[in-house]
Order: sequence, then C-alpha cells, then structure tokens
Amino acid sequence: MNRRLLITCVLAACAYLSISLTGCNQTAQRAAPVSQSPFVGNPGEEYYMVTFVSGIEYWKGCFKGFKAAGNLFGVTTIYTGAPQYDVNQQVTVLEQVITKNPAGIAVTCMNPDALAAPIKKAMDAGIPVVTFDADAPRSPRYSFLATGNEYAGSVAANTLAGLIGGQGEVVVLTLPAQLNHEQRTAGFKKTLQADFPNIKLVAVGNGKADQTEAAKVLAGYLQAHPDVKGVFCTDATSGVGAATAVKEANKVGSIKIVSFDTDKGTLDAIKEGVVSASIAQGTYTMGYWSMNFLFQVKHELVNPVQGWKSKGINPLPPYVDTGVNVVTKENVDSFYGV
Amino acid sequence: MIIRTVFAFRETSIIIIIIAVSAVLTILTPHFFNERNIITTAIGFAADGIIAVGMTVALVSGGFDLSVGSVMGLSGVTAGALYLAGVNIWAACAMALAAGAVCGLINGYFIGKVGLNPLITTLGMMGIARGAAYVLTQGSPLSLFGIPRSFAFVGSGKAAGIPVIVILFIIIAAVGDFLMRRSAPMRKVFYTGSNEKAAVLSGINTGNVKMGVYLLTAMLAACAGILSLARFTVATPTAGMGAELRVISAAVIGGASLSGGEGTILGAVLGVILLNIINNGLILMNVSVYWQDLIGGAILLTAVTIDLITHRKKIGKARPADLAGRHSLSPDGEPFHGGIQ
Repeated sequence: MNRRLLITCVLAACAYLSISLTGCNQTAQRAAPVSQSPFVGNPGEEYYMVTFVSGIEYWKGCFKGFKAAGNLFGVTTIYTGAPQYDVNQQVTVLEQVITKNPAGIAVTCMNPDALAAPIKKAMDAGIPVVTFDADAPRSPRYSFLATGNEYAGSVAANTLAGLIGGQGEVVVLTLPAQLNHEQRTAGFKKTLQADFPNIKLVAVGNGKADQTEAAKVLAGYLQAHPDVKGVFCTDATSGVGAATAVKEANKVGSIKIVSFDTDKGTLDAIKEGVVSASIAQGTYTMGYWSMNFLFQVKHELVNPVQGWKSKGINPLPPYVDTGVNVVTKENVDSFYGV
Repeated sequence: MIIRTVFAFRETSIIIIIIAVSAVLTILTPHFFNERNIITTAIGFAADGIIAVGMTVALVSGGFDLSVGSVMGLSGVTAGALYLAGVNIWAACAMALAAGAVCGLINGYFIGKVGLNPLITTLGMMGIARGAAYVLTQGSPLSLFGIPRSFAFVGSGKAAGIPVIVILFIIIAAVGDFLMRRSAPMRKVFYTGSNEKAAVLSGINTGNVKMGVYLLTAMLAACAGILSLARFTVATPTAGMGAELRVISAAVIGGASLSGGEGTILGAVLGVILLNIINNGLILMNVSVYWQDLIGGAILLTAVTIDLITHRKKIGKARPADLAGRHSLSPDGEPFHGGIQ
C-alpha cells in the first residue's frame, strides 16, 4: 500500500516538475529566443559523489549514472570516498569535500548518525546534499535514492516462484544481522507467505560473505532437504557459492538459483545456466537522478512553493525507490559493463 | 597394555570426540552419515585443511600466521588476473604460488631475522596481501568463464569417486604428518618452538628455521587459494576471510600449543574435521542462523574441555621426569635421542 502511495507521489512530483519546467522554458523562449536553456550548467560547477569502501565495483554503476547526467548538464562530476570501511575516514573525506564548496554532494552513508552532522554543515553552507544507497535519515538532506530492499526480496520471490512452477521447497542464503540483507529476506518471506502457499521455505542459511562458506552451507541444506527446488541468495558472493554447491551436487537445472547484483561472475553464471536469474539494483538510476536533483535544486529550477528555502519546505521527493531489474539469460548481455 | 598404548597417542581423545559427535548426529538426522554428505563436507574443508597443515608447523615453531586467509585470497586473484591478461593458466598458478612465497619470505624475514613479533608481522601482512588483492581486482570478483577444462578438473573433478581437491588435501596432510614425525628439519622446528635459546646453543639457525616455516604456511595458503579458484572459477578478493582463526583453532583443538613446541598435523586435521562436522550438523538439523554460532561455540568449548581433562589425566599418570620434559618430546611421544640428525 505504502509503496503504491510512494510511487504515485514520485510520479506526481515528476509530472509537476516537467510541467513547471516546460513552463519555465516557454517563458524563457518568449522573453529571449536565443537565450540558453536553464538545463545548461558550466564546467566550473563541481558535483561530488562520496562513498565508503570506495574501490568496490558496486559504486562504479552509481557514478556512471551520476557522470552521465553531469555530462548532459555540462558540469563537472567528481568521484571520491573513504577507501576503507571506516566511518571516521568517510566523515573526514566529506568534510574535506565541503571545504571545497562544491555545487552539490551525493553521499552514501556508512553510518546514519555519524554522517548527519557533516551533511547538516553542508546544507547550512548552501550546498545541496542528497543521499543514495544508504541514508542518514536524521540529516536535513533533500532526498534519499535507493533500492527498496524488501521490495527487491519480493521481486526475487516472484521470480523464483515462476522458475519452480509455484511449488516446492526453497532455501535462502543471506547475511544475518545486516539490515539490507535482512530486509531482502523479509520481503522474500512475506511474498511467499502471501502469494505462494505451496512453496515452503525450509531453511535460511548464513553465506558469511565467503564463497567457500556459502557453498558448504548450501551443500548441507541440500543433504537435509533433498527436494529443494530453489535458492535465493541475497548477495552475489553467496550466489557464487550456491552455484558451485549445486554443480557439485549434480543438480544444475533441477535447482533454480536467484542471485543478487550484476558482477561479471554472476552474469557469466547466468549465461552458463547455473544461475537462473539475478536481481539488479538500479545503481545507474541512483547516480543519474541524484545528479538531476542536485542540479535542479542548485539552479532553483524546482519551485513547488515560492520561497521554499526560507520556509523549510522540501522541494524534492524525500525518498525515491530506484527499483530493481530481473536479469535472465534473455537479457543478460545488456548488463555486461553496466 | 593395549589401552595404554592407544591412549599414548595424543590424538586418541579427539578421535573419540569426533566419533561421539558423529554418533549423536547419526541418531539425530538421517542425512549425516551417508556418502554424499561426507564427500560434500570434505570438499568444504579441504582448503582450510591444507592451510591447517602449515599453521601447525608455525604453531610448533612457537609462532603463528594471521596472514594465511589474505594470502589465499591474493593467490587466487593473482592467478585469475594473469589468466585474464592472457597468461597460460598453469603459468599463472606458478606465479600466484610465487606471490604467496614472497609474502611468506617477507613474514619469515621480519620474524626470523629482524626479530619482530609474529602477531604484528603477520597482522601487517594480512593487511598488505588483502589490500594487494583489492588493488589487483579493483574490488570486483574476477570471473574465469571458459577456463581450460584441465584446470577446472583440479577444482571439480573426481578420481575413483573422490574429488581431486580432497585427494590433494589428503596427500599434503599425509606427507606433512610423516615429515613432521620423521624428518630432521622438522625436529629443528620442534626445538625452536620448545626452547629457542637451547636450540640456538645446540647450533640451530632459528632464523632460517622461521624463514622456512613462514614460507611453508604462505605457500600452502597460496595452494588453497588456487584450488578454490579452480573450484569456483571466480577469483574473489575477499576469499579466505576469517580462515586464519578457524585454522588456528582447529590446530589447537588437535593438540597444538599456542606457546610452541607441541602439535601434530594429524591432530590439526582432526580439529578441522571436528569443526566442520559440528557446522554440518547444525545445518542438517536446521538450527536457526541466529543460534548456529552460539551453539557451535558451546559444543567446541565442551569438546576441548573434555580433551584437556583426558589429556591431563594421561600426563598425571606419567612419571614426574617425563612431565618436566614434556616440551622436548617428539610428536609421537618419544623423547629425542642424540640431538639433531
């Protein structure tokens, strides 16, 4: 219910935006036909994307979208972040970015509370901030753009159910006590309970973020439950482990695997047919719309209420679910290099 | 007499514990004691088992190696990256082994020659090797799709119904155990670990011994990394994370001492088997993921306590002279005769 409401809100906001913007455009054209479109920035404007564990592949997709939007506007986009999983380091990097007084910052938050203060500092200094992938809900950021993890789990449930014909035993491999993974598992469970009474979730295992461990765990479950027909892995590493365990049990094809994310190993396994499907997060979408939001706020193109800035009104949708796509053998080729 | 001879083996009590745990699991679940489960469990612990062989030697020498998990990850991605760059897969594996050897020699140099503490040295190497794996892969797993069949066979093939990876593990463990009990260089390791000053005085170059020890742990970790690569055909920079603690605890469960001079490879292998049987049992019995670590830890503590009590009784019966000389016993319980061969 909530989701539907949210989507409606986002769509309404988009519609409103486009109407008001075309309106803007027309007035501009009427006034001076040769003048520039308001969607053109200048290369001196710098927009930053700030991440943590900045070397991992996942953020590359986010920055790709961020950069693509930045190029459309003719502004400069810069990627930076904390190389390690270290909250102090990320706060320091963010503080350093703020000192450069950039045109806008998109930040993913390793810790929601630790980053709230520097985000507030940036906003107070007039630098627009949006969060993506991981939020700081108590900060004054304009918007949070991310995968709805529970929804992603529900998409996985529907995909797996389709693959196994709506009945049989299934297993989940996840990373317990990590919020986004717990949410994916919860969404998966809820959907099975509500819509697929003939599918039985027989075990939830710990993939331990290590392919050897994940393979060991799934191999055990396949012994205890020889009739398992499907596996949902909430992270790509478990997916690799699960694929190997299924191969070693000689059950390729008779056990369907739905994995998560789109690293090359997962895509190759889909091509090979060992993994049936994977849930692709909208990383490009997160980056692309983060940049759009920042640009529009910076250039004051979005004005739901006159003088919103002084009245404490948020001109942007506070939360955007960037959605998921199901990667299968049919469409896998288009996900390479995303 | 027979009973006393049987109990003279350090490993008897752990074997009894393994049999007891297995018997309980066989009663509790029909899925435990069958060929398929035994084979899949064995594939699962082959990598840890290979690393445990080296770790035992390090523990006997009076040190330990925290970098084994990282070296395992580094060797996998080194071989993977070189293969993707067009190098022949076997040559790539040789270079990955060499990368492991370099890590080991650096550890050995700082511990054996410079005299740094093994904890700090190998902790540093743990970061360096893991970091190098991240740099090489830029964080993303390398997929070796379409790898030569001959290489994939090492990771997923079978000979006489037994997975190749398990056979390799058994060979490495058997050779290691034999050398540990019989060879002169390994006796030097025992001497270094039980009383380093005495070892130096009797003419052993303990620095060289330590270089050799850390070279061995790293090379075996690199082997485990390459075998995992062959098994998964994906080189993940995070592979082997946490392996060091699993392996050290397995070796200690099997009778190795954290203060050096004691330990056998058979014991460490039995320790790896016990840990994996417990984990396998928790999974077969569908214990909730939130309970698994807690119950696994409790069973482990119980098993080690039982082992210690039986071990202590055995020592208690020994003559005081034997007890005093316990640290200079060779692994098969015989005092050394006549110095170093």
